[in-house]
Amino acid sequence: MKYAYHLIVAYLTLHVGWYILREKSFWKQAGAGLVLILFVLRLLLIQ
Amino acid sequence: MNKKRRRFHFSPMIDGSSFFIFGMVAAVSFFAGRDFVAQRAEEAIMPGPGLTSMRQLSDYFPPLRGTAGDTGIFVFEGAEAGGNVLILGGAHPNEPAGYVSAILLIENVRLARGRLFVVPRANASGFTHGDPQEGAPQRFGIETPQGTRFFRLGSRVTNSIHQWPDPTLYITPTGQKLAGIEARNLNRAYPGLPRGSLTERVAHAVMELIRKERIDLGIDLHESAPEYPVINAIVFHENSSDLAALAQMALQGEGYEFRLEASPQNLRGLSHREWGDAAGIKAVLIETPNASHGRIKGRPSASLVVDGRDPYYVKAAGLGRLFVPFGPEGIPLRHRVARHLAGVEAVLGALSELEPEKAVGLEGLPSAADVEAQGLGAFLRPPRL
Repeated sequence: MKYAYHLIVAYLTLHVGWYILREKSFWKQAGAGLVLILFVLRLLLIQ
Repeated sequence: MNKKRRRFHFSPMIDGSSFFIFGMVAAVSFFAGRDFVAQRAEEAIMPGPGLTSMRQLSDYFPPLRGTAGDTGIFVFEGAEAGGNVLILGGAHPNEPAGYVSAILLIENVRLARGRLFVVPRANASGFTHGDPQEGAPQRFGIETPQGTRFFRLGSRVTNSIHQWPDPTLYITPTGQKLAGIEARNLNRAYPGLPRGSLTERVAHAVMELIRKERIDLGIDLHESAPEYPVINAIVFHENSSDLAALAQMALQGEGYEFRLEASPQNLRGLSHREWGDAAGIKAVLIETPNASHGRIKGRPSASLVVDGRDPYYVKAAGLGRLFVPFGPEGIPLRHRVARHLAGVEAVLGALSELEPEKAVGLEGLPSAADVEAQGLGAFLRPPRL
Protein backbone atom coordinates (compact mmCIF):
# COMPACT_ATOMS: atom_id res chain seq x y z
CA MET A 1 0.00 0.00 0.00
CA LYS A 2 2.87 2.33 0.90
CA TYR A 3 4.52 1.74 -2.49
CA ALA A 4 1.22 2.24 -4.35
CA TYR A 5 0.79 5.55 -2.51
CA HIS A 6 4.31 6.67 -3.40
CA LEU A 7 3.81 5.66 -7.04
CA ILE A 8 0.65 7.77 -7.23
CA VAL A 9 2.42 10.79 -5.70
CA ALA A 10 5.44 10.26 -8.00
CA TYR A 11 3.14 10.14 -11.04
CA LEU A 12 1.42 13.39 -10.03
CA THR A 13 4.78 15.02 -9.24
CA LEU A 14 6.08 14.18 -12.71
CA HIS A 15 2.91 15.57 -14.25
CA VAL A 16 3.28 18.89 -12.48
CA GLY A 17 6.95 19.04 -13.54
CA TRP A 18 5.95 18.23 -17.10
CA TYR A 19 3.34 21.01 -17.00
CA ILE A 20 5.99 23.53 -15.90
CA LEU A 21 8.21 22.53 -18.82
CA ARG A 22 5.42 22.95 -21.36
CA GLU A 23 3.80 26.09 -19.97
CA LYS A 24 4.85 29.41 -21.49
CA SER A 25 3.36 31.83 -18.97
CA PHE A 26 5.80 32.53 -16.16
CA TRP A 27 3.07 33.07 -13.56
CA LYS A 28 1.36 29.78 -14.43
CA GLN A 29 4.75 28.09 -14.09
CA ALA A 30 5.24 29.77 -10.68
CA GLY A 31 1.80 28.62 -9.50
CA ALA A 32 2.55 25.07 -10.58
CA GLY A 33 5.94 25.38 -8.85
CA LEU A 34 4.20 26.04 -5.55
CA VAL A 35 2.12 22.90 -6.04
CA LEU A 36 5.24 20.98 -7.03
CA ILE A 37 6.92 21.90 -3.70
CA LEU A 38 4.08 20.23 -1.80
CA PHE A 39 4.26 17.12 -3.96
CA VAL A 40 8.06 16.87 -3.67
CA LEU A 41 7.86 17.20 0.14
CA ARG A 42 5.11 14.61 0.30
CA LEU A 43 7.01 12.26 -2.01
CA LEU A 44 10.31 12.45 -0.15
CA LEU A 45 9.48 13.17 3.47
CA ILE A 46 6.14 11.77 4.52
CA GLN A 47 6.75 8.40 6.10
CA MET B 1 -1.50 9.09 -38.37
CA ASN B 2 0.16 12.51 -38.22
CA LYS B 3 -2.46 13.73 -35.75
CA LYS B 4 -1.64 10.84 -33.42
CA ARG B 5 2.06 11.64 -33.60
CA ARG B 6 1.46 15.27 -32.69
CA ARG B 7 -0.65 14.28 -29.73
CA PHE B 8 2.22 12.39 -28.12
CA HIS B 9 4.98 14.62 -29.41
CA PHE B 10 7.60 15.52 -26.79
CA SER B 11 8.05 19.26 -27.10
CA PRO B 12 8.71 20.79 -23.71
CA MET B 13 9.70 24.42 -23.56
CA ILE B 14 12.99 24.23 -21.65
CA ASP B 15 13.73 27.86 -21.17
CA GLY B 16 15.17 30.12 -18.50
CA SER B 17 11.92 30.49 -16.61
CA SER B 18 11.49 26.68 -16.26
CA PHE B 19 15.00 26.39 -14.86
CA PHE B 20 14.33 29.28 -12.51
CA ILE B 21 11.09 27.69 -11.25
CA PHE B 22 12.74 24.27 -10.77
CA GLY B 23 15.59 25.93 -8.91
CA MET B 24 13.16 27.71 -6.61
CA VAL B 25 11.22 24.47 -6.06
CA ALA B 26 14.45 22.68 -5.11
CA ALA B 27 15.55 25.47 -2.76
CA VAL B 28 12.19 25.85 -0.98
CA SER B 29 11.78 22.05 -0.74
CA PHE B 30 15.26 21.77 0.78
CA PHE B 31 14.76 24.41 3.48
CA ALA B 32 11.16 23.43 4.27
CA GLY B 33 12.13 19.75 4.28
CA ARG B 34 15.05 20.41 6.59
CA ASP B 35 12.74 22.08 9.13
CA PHE B 36 10.19 19.30 8.76
CA VAL B 37 12.75 16.53 9.30
CA ALA B 38 14.20 18.40 12.29
CA GLN B 39 10.91 17.75 14.07
CA ARG B 40 11.66 14.03 14.06
CA ALA B 41 15.09 14.41 15.62
CA GLU B 42 15.25 13.67 19.33
CA GLU B 43 17.33 16.16 21.28
CA ALA B 44 20.06 14.67 23.41
CA ILE B 45 19.39 13.79 27.03
CA MET B 46 22.64 13.59 28.98
CA PRO B 47 22.18 11.31 31.98
CA GLY B 48 24.10 11.94 35.17
CA PRO B 49 26.42 9.43 36.84
CA GLY B 50 23.46 7.85 38.64
CA LEU B 51 22.19 6.10 35.51
CA THR B 52 22.69 2.34 35.69
CA SER B 53 21.21 1.18 32.39
CA MET B 54 19.23 2.23 29.35
CA ARG B 55 16.39 0.22 27.92
CA GLN B 56 13.80 0.61 25.21
CA LEU B 57 10.06 0.26 25.62
CA SER B 58 10.22 -2.41 22.91
CA ASP B 59 12.33 -4.57 25.30
CA TYR B 60 9.03 -5.17 27.11
CA PHE B 61 6.92 -5.52 23.96
CA PRO B 62 9.10 -6.48 20.96
CA PRO B 63 6.52 -5.70 18.21
CA LEU B 64 7.08 -2.03 19.07
CA ARG B 65 10.73 -2.23 17.94
CA GLY B 66 11.49 -0.04 14.94
CA THR B 67 8.18 1.82 15.17
CA ALA B 68 7.62 5.48 16.00
CA GLY B 69 6.22 4.39 19.36
CA ASP B 70 9.46 2.94 20.70
CA THR B 71 11.15 5.13 23.28
CA GLY B 72 14.03 5.17 25.75
CA ILE B 73 13.78 4.15 29.40
CA PHE B 74 16.38 5.45 31.85
CA VAL B 75 16.95 3.04 34.72
CA PHE B 76 18.46 3.92 38.11
CA GLU B 77 19.21 1.14 40.59
CA GLY B 78 20.25 1.53 44.19
CA ALA B 79 22.60 -0.76 46.08
CA GLU B 80 19.90 -1.64 48.62
CA ALA B 81 16.66 -3.42 47.81
CA GLY B 82 13.54 -1.28 47.90
CA GLY B 83 10.55 -0.34 45.83
CA ASN B 84 10.22 0.03 42.07
CA VAL B 85 8.94 3.34 40.78
CA LEU B 86 7.99 4.41 37.25
CA ILE B 87 7.95 8.10 36.29
CA LEU B 88 6.42 9.03 32.96
CA GLY B 89 7.00 12.37 31.24
CA GLY B 90 5.90 13.33 27.73
CA ALA B 91 2.70 11.30 27.60
CA HIS B 92 1.37 14.59 26.21
CA PRO B 93 4.31 16.24 24.38
CA ASN B 94 2.62 19.67 24.43
CA GLU B 95 2.90 19.71 28.24
CA PRO B 96 6.57 20.59 28.60
CA ALA B 97 6.86 20.67 32.41
CA GLY B 98 6.38 16.88 32.60
CA TYR B 99 8.99 16.28 29.91
CA VAL B 100 11.55 18.73 31.35
CA SER B 101 10.99 17.40 34.90
CA ALA B 102 11.76 13.86 33.68
CA ILE B 103 14.95 15.14 31.99
CA LEU B 104 15.98 16.99 35.14
CA LEU B 105 15.58 13.76 37.10
CA ILE B 106 17.61 11.79 34.56
CA GLU B 107 20.45 14.32 34.55
CA ASN B 108 20.70 14.72 38.33
CA VAL B 109 19.52 11.83 40.48
CA ARG B 110 21.27 8.84 42.00
CA LEU B 111 19.56 6.00 43.78
CA ALA B 112 20.65 4.62 47.13
CA ARG B 113 17.77 2.21 47.36
CA GLY B 114 15.19 0.60 45.08
CA ARG B 115 14.81 1.09 41.35
CA LEU B 116 13.58 4.04 39.32
CA PHE B 117 12.44 3.88 35.70
CA VAL B 118 12.08 7.22 33.93
CA VAL B 119 10.44 7.50 30.51
CA PRO B 120 10.81 11.12 29.35
CA ARG B 121 9.13 10.73 25.94
CA ALA B 122 6.28 8.37 26.71
CA ASN B 123 4.51 9.20 23.45
CA ALA B 124 7.57 9.47 21.21
CA SER B 125 5.45 9.86 18.08
CA GLY B 126 3.70 12.89 19.59
CA PHE B 127 7.08 14.67 19.71
CA THR B 128 7.47 14.46 15.91
CA HIS B 129 4.71 16.96 15.06
CA GLY B 130 2.68 19.82 16.47
CA ASP B 131 -1.03 20.34 17.05
CA PRO B 132 -2.57 21.47 13.75
CA GLN B 133 -3.84 25.06 13.46
CA GLU B 134 -2.32 26.03 16.80
CA GLY B 135 0.74 27.86 15.47
CA ALA B 136 2.73 26.42 18.37
CA PRO B 137 6.53 26.73 18.22
CA GLN B 138 8.49 23.60 17.27
CA ARG B 139 10.86 24.03 20.17
CA PHE B 140 11.68 26.16 23.18
CA GLY B 141 15.01 27.07 24.74
CA ILE B 142 16.23 27.01 28.32
CA GLU B 143 19.28 29.08 29.18
CA THR B 144 22.13 27.18 30.84
CA PRO B 145 25.42 28.78 31.93
CA GLN B 146 27.08 27.27 28.82
CA GLY B 147 24.40 28.20 26.30
CA THR B 148 20.80 27.58 25.33
CA ARG B 149 19.42 24.06 25.37
CA PHE B 150 16.48 23.47 23.07
CA PHE B 151 13.63 21.03 23.62
CA ARG B 152 10.87 19.88 21.32
CA LEU B 153 7.32 21.02 21.87
CA GLY B 154 5.11 18.32 20.40
CA SER B 155 1.46 17.49 20.12
CA ARG B 156 -0.94 16.06 22.68
CA VAL B 157 -1.51 13.06 20.44
CA THR B 158 0.36 10.55 18.28
CA ASN B 159 1.43 11.82 14.84
CA SER B 160 -1.24 11.06 12.25
CA ILE B 161 1.45 9.92 9.79
CA HIS B 162 2.10 7.08 12.25
CA GLN B 163 -1.54 6.31 13.05
CA TRP B 164 -4.27 7.11 10.58
CA PRO B 165 -7.22 7.56 10.15
CA ASP B 166 -9.02 8.57 13.34
CA PRO B 167 -12.33 6.84 13.91
CA THR B 168 -15.49 8.94 14.35
CA LEU B 169 -15.77 7.62 17.88
CA TYR B 170 -12.91 6.06 19.80
CA ILE B 171 -13.78 3.20 22.10
CA THR B 172 -10.95 2.72 24.59
CA PRO B 173 -9.67 -0.79 25.40
CA THR B 174 -11.90 -0.65 28.49
CA GLY B 175 -15.01 0.44 26.61
CA GLN B 176 -15.18 4.22 27.14
CA LYS B 177 -16.55 6.15 24.14
CA LEU B 178 -14.56 9.25 23.29
CA ALA B 179 -14.11 11.68 20.38
CA GLY B 180 -12.20 10.16 17.45
CA ILE B 181 -8.99 12.17 17.96
CA GLU B 182 -8.57 10.57 21.40
CA ALA B 183 -7.64 7.38 19.55
CA ARG B 184 -4.16 8.95 19.38
CA ASN B 185 -4.05 10.05 23.02
CA LEU B 186 -1.75 7.81 25.05
CA ASN B 187 -3.45 8.82 28.27
CA ARG B 188 -6.78 7.44 27.04
CA ALA B 189 -5.38 4.18 25.66
CA TYR B 190 -4.47 2.27 28.82
CA PRO B 191 -4.25 -0.63 29.46
CA GLY B 192 -3.57 -0.84 25.75
CA LEU B 193 -3.94 -3.67 23.27
CA PRO B 194 -1.11 -5.85 21.92
CA ARG B 195 -2.68 -5.82 18.43
CA GLY B 196 -4.30 -2.40 18.61
CA SER B 197 -3.32 0.93 17.10
CA LEU B 198 0.20 2.31 17.62
CA THR B 199 -0.98 4.33 20.64
CA GLU B 200 -2.68 1.27 22.14
CA ARG B 201 0.46 -0.80 21.57
CA VAL B 202 2.55 1.85 23.35
CA ALA B 203 0.07 1.79 26.26
CA HIS B 204 0.29 -2.02 26.30
CA ALA B 205 4.10 -1.81 26.35
CA VAL B 206 3.97 0.54 29.37
CA MET B 207 1.71 -2.00 31.11
CA GLU B 208 4.19 -4.77 30.25
CA LEU B 209 6.99 -2.66 31.76
CA ILE B 210 4.90 -2.21 34.91
CA ARG B 211 4.17 -5.95 35.16
CA LYS B 212 7.62 -7.28 34.27
CA GLU B 213 9.55 -4.86 36.49
CA ARG B 214 7.03 -5.27 39.34
CA ILE B 215 6.48 -1.55 39.61
CA ASP B 216 4.99 -0.51 42.95
CA LEU B 217 4.19 3.12 42.16
CA GLY B 218 3.60 4.96 38.90
CA ILE B 219 3.79 8.76 38.61
CA ASP B 220 2.52 10.37 35.41
CA LEU B 221 3.61 14.02 34.91
CA HIS B 222 1.18 16.30 33.07
CA GLU B 223 0.05 19.88 32.65
CA SER B 224 -3.39 21.37 32.14
CA ALA B 225 -4.77 24.67 30.89
CA PRO B 226 -5.50 27.30 33.57
CA GLU B 227 -9.23 27.22 32.72
CA TYR B 228 -9.41 23.45 33.31
CA PRO B 229 -10.62 22.42 36.77
CA VAL B 230 -8.18 19.54 37.31
CA ILE B 231 -5.10 21.66 37.85
CA ASN B 232 -2.37 22.07 40.47
CA ALA B 233 -3.58 18.66 41.50
CA ILE B 234 -2.60 15.14 42.37
CA VAL B 235 -5.04 12.74 40.72
CA PHE B 236 -4.94 9.39 42.48
CA HIS B 237 -6.31 5.89 42.10
CA GLU B 238 -8.40 4.89 45.12
CA ASN B 239 -5.68 2.44 46.19
CA SER B 240 -3.36 5.46 46.54
CA SER B 241 -5.57 7.80 48.56
CA ASP B 242 -3.38 7.58 51.71
CA LEU B 243 -0.30 8.15 49.62
CA ALA B 244 -1.78 11.21 47.91
CA ALA B 245 -3.08 12.69 51.17
CA LEU B 246 0.29 12.30 52.88
CA ALA B 247 2.03 13.83 49.89
CA GLN B 248 -0.40 16.75 49.88
CA MET B 249 0.34 17.48 53.54
CA ALA B 250 4.08 17.42 52.91
CA LEU B 251 3.64 19.76 49.94
CA GLN B 252 1.55 22.18 51.99
CA GLY B 253 4.40 22.25 54.50
CA GLU B 254 6.68 23.39 51.66
CA GLY B 255 4.21 26.05 50.58
CA TYR B 256 2.82 24.25 47.51
CA GLU B 257 -0.95 23.98 47.35
CA PHE B 258 -2.12 20.85 45.53
CA ARG B 259 -5.72 19.71 45.16
CA LEU B 260 -6.50 16.05 45.62
CA GLU B 261 -8.62 14.59 42.85
CA ALA B 262 -9.88 11.02 43.08
CA SER B 263 -9.69 9.20 39.76
CA PRO B 264 -13.32 8.73 38.62
CA GLN B 265 -14.15 5.05 38.28
CA ASN B 266 -16.15 5.61 35.10
CA LEU B 267 -13.45 7.61 33.32
CA ARG B 268 -11.47 4.92 31.58
CA GLY B 269 -8.20 4.71 29.72
CA LEU B 270 -6.20 7.10 31.91
CA SER B 271 -2.99 6.14 33.69
CA HIS B 272 -4.28 6.91 37.20
CA ARG B 273 -7.25 4.61 36.56
CA GLU B 274 -5.89 1.72 34.50
CA TRP B 275 -2.43 1.35 36.09
CA GLY B 276 -4.23 0.76 39.38
CA ASP B 277 -7.03 -1.40 37.98
CA ALA B 278 -5.09 -3.50 35.47
CA ALA B 279 -1.76 -3.84 37.27
CA GLY B 280 -2.73 -3.15 40.87
CA ILE B 281 0.00 -0.59 41.42
CA LYS B 282 -0.29 2.70 43.24
CA ALA B 283 -0.90 5.36 40.62
CA VAL B 284 -0.87 9.15 40.72
CA LEU B 285 -0.90 11.85 38.07
CA ILE B 286 0.44 15.33 38.80
CA GLU B 287 -0.93 18.39 36.98
CA THR B 288 0.64 21.85 36.75
CA PRO B 289 -0.84 24.93 34.99
CA ASN B 290 0.36 25.61 31.45
CA ALA B 291 -0.90 28.68 29.61
CA SER B 292 0.72 27.64 26.32
CA HIS B 293 -1.79 24.92 25.58
CA GLY B 294 -4.88 26.63 26.96
CA ARG B 295 -7.67 27.98 24.75
CA ILE B 296 -7.66 31.55 26.07
CA LYS B 297 -4.01 32.29 25.26
CA GLY B 298 -2.91 34.94 22.85
CA ARG B 299 -0.10 34.42 20.37
CA PRO B 300 1.67 31.07 20.93
CA SER B 301 5.43 31.37 21.25
CA ALA B 302 8.46 29.74 22.84
CA SER B 303 8.50 32.55 25.37
CA LEU B 304 4.91 31.74 26.38
CA VAL B 305 6.03 28.15 27.01
CA VAL B 306 9.04 29.16 29.10
CA ASP B 307 7.97 32.41 30.77
CA GLY B 308 4.27 31.55 30.95
CA ARG B 309 3.12 35.17 30.65
CA ASP B 310 -0.07 35.94 28.77
CA PRO B 311 -2.24 39.10 29.05
CA TYR B 312 -5.44 37.27 28.08
CA TYR B 313 -5.05 34.84 30.95
CA VAL B 314 -4.48 37.78 33.28
CA LYS B 315 -7.79 39.23 32.05
CA ALA B 316 -9.55 35.86 32.40
CA ALA B 317 -8.22 35.56 35.95
CA GLY B 318 -9.65 39.01 36.71
CA LEU B 319 -13.04 37.80 35.48
CA GLY B 320 -12.85 34.74 37.72
CA ARG B 321 -12.70 32.28 34.82
CA LEU B 322 -9.59 30.35 35.87
CA PHE B 323 -8.90 27.67 38.44
CA VAL B 324 -5.47 29.04 39.37
CA PRO B 325 -4.27 32.55 40.21
CA PHE B 326 -2.71 34.12 37.11
CA GLY B 327 -0.94 37.48 37.43
CA PRO B 328 1.14 39.55 34.98
CA GLU B 329 4.24 37.60 36.11
CA GLY B 330 2.66 34.45 34.57
CA ILE B 331 3.41 30.87 35.57
CA PRO B 332 6.93 30.15 34.27
CA LEU B 333 8.22 26.72 33.33
CA ARG B 334 10.73 26.73 36.17
CA HIS B 335 7.87 27.11 38.67
CA ARG B 336 5.88 24.31 37.03
CA VAL B 337 8.89 21.98 36.98
CA ALA B 338 9.62 22.89 40.62
CA ARG B 339 6.05 21.87 41.46
CA HIS B 340 6.52 18.54 39.66
CA LEU B 341 9.80 17.85 41.45
CA ALA B 342 8.26 18.76 44.80
CA GLY B 343 5.32 16.50 43.95
CA VAL B 344 7.58 13.57 43.04
CA GLU B 345 9.62 14.00 46.21
CA ALA B 346 6.48 14.21 48.36
CA VAL B 347 4.88 11.13 46.78
CA LEU B 348 8.10 9.11 47.20
CA GLY B 349 8.34 10.32 50.80
CA ALA B 350 4.76 9.21 51.42
CA LEU B 351 5.52 5.78 49.91
CA SER B 352 8.47 5.28 52.25
CA GLU B 353 6.30 6.30 55.20
CA LEU B 354 3.40 4.01 54.32
CA GLU B 355 5.39 1.02 53.08
CA PRO B 356 9.00 1.33 54.32
CA GLU B 357 10.06 -1.88 52.54
CA LYS B 358 9.14 -0.24 49.22
CA ALA B 359 11.01 3.00 49.88
CA VAL B 360 13.10 4.46 47.08
CA GLY B 361 16.18 6.37 48.21
CA LEU B 362 16.49 9.26 45.78
CA GLU B 363 19.60 11.46 46.02
CA GLY B 364 20.69 14.50 44.06
CA LEU B 365 17.16 15.62 43.21
CA PRO B 366 17.25 19.43 42.88
CA SER B 367 14.99 20.96 45.50
CA ALA B 368 11.96 22.85 44.27
CA ALA B 369 13.17 25.98 46.07
CA ASP B 370 16.56 25.80 44.29
CA VAL B 371 14.91 25.34 40.90
CA GLU B 372 12.65 28.33 41.54
CA ALA B 373 15.57 30.47 42.73
CA GLN B 374 18.33 29.41 40.29
CA GLY B 375 16.25 28.48 37.25
CA LEU B 376 16.18 25.26 35.23
CA GLY B 377 19.44 25.92 33.42
CA ALA B 378 21.43 25.53 36.63
CA PHE B 379 20.36 21.86 36.82
CA LEU B 380 20.55 20.90 33.15
CA ARG B 381 23.72 19.67 31.51
CA PRO B 382 25.31 21.99 28.95
CA PRO B 383 24.06 21.78 25.38
CA ARG B 384 26.05 19.75 22.86
CA LEU B 385 27.53 22.44 20.68
